[in-house]
Amino acid sequence: MRQWHRGVIVFALVALLVGMGVHYGAVEDDRWPYPDEDDLASQPAEHVGDEVFLFGTVTAIDTDAGTATIRVEADSGSFSLSVQSFDRSVKPGGIVQILGELTTERTLDAERVVVVNSSSGAEWYKYGVSVLGAVLVLLAFFRYWRIDWDTWTFEVRRDG
Amino acid sequence: MADLLSTVLVTYAAFTIASWWVDGLDQRWVVVAMGGAAIPDLVKIEILVDADVIENAIGLPFDYSPVASVAGVTVVAGIIALCFGEQWRRTAYAVLAAAGGFSLVIDGLRVYADGFANFYLYPLWVRPPTPGLFVSSDPAVLVVAIVVSGVTFGIDRWKQ
Repeated sequence: MRQWHRGVIVFALVALLVGMGVHYGAVEDDRWPYPDEDDLASQPAEHVGDEVFLFGTVTAIDTDAGTATIRVEADSGSFSLSVQSFDRSVKPGGIVQILGELTTERTLDAERVVVVNSSSGAEWYKYGVSVLGAVLVLLAFFRYWRIDWDTWTFEVRRDG
Repeated sequence: MADLLSTVLVTYAAFTIASWWVDGLDQRWVVVAMGGAAIPDLVKIEILVDADVIENAIGLPFDYSPVASVAGVTVVAGIIALCFGEQWRRTAYAVLAAAGGFSLVIDGLRVYADGFANFYLYPLWVRPPTPGLFVSSDPAVLVVAIVVSGVTFGIDRWKQ
């Protein structure tokens, strides 16, 4: 295979990947069984009484009252929702998934709350450890493989 | 998704165990599998370049999610396999795609508040049920991954 053949195929595959991203972006809203964040941001009244499934960042929490306020990101910017029946312990900055019913335009009665990150620290933990994972992959890979600069390919290390 | 370090360690264990029975699957391919398992994590490019930036640039809807799907792994594994020397490409593709798929399955075990994972089977619009074993920032996942990969490493050494 000539070098430029490889280039053309890689370019075509990247184009295919972008095409899938466009297709997914165009179709996902219709496939996702719940109202999406943008609809809730712009036309919440139409969804009162609907079941919703949202990811949000906790901005305030009252454990005794079982309520919390979450911020949800939408394309047009973020909006806040107050959540009732919030039965988990999370610090502000933590990220939660909430399944529940939209009872008013900006109130949600939670049926199930899942804590994804219990504080913003948990998020940093995840990214820190993931960077370690990436470093481990690179170290392990280049222990057995090397870059052949003449052909611009990975080749097995003879000494590895 | 689980943190990348856990994903990579569990993939190391799975492919090392498989190498005890599969001829030709040796250490140099196990490290390629560890890289393949990281393919779905490329979806995190989102942190660097938001999908909105791409939408504005191309004037079409766009979503990174297909990268962490069956379709995305199939294509990205092809791009990476082309970076290998010609004699390694087929094997590299098989190992990368298998490991990427393995990583999707592991990721599909994490918690979703409504009990169904995301559309990782794209191009199929199916949300497979998830047992909800972990959340992405759970340190217990890393502990399990370290123990499993450590024991596998030990047995692998002992077998040689």
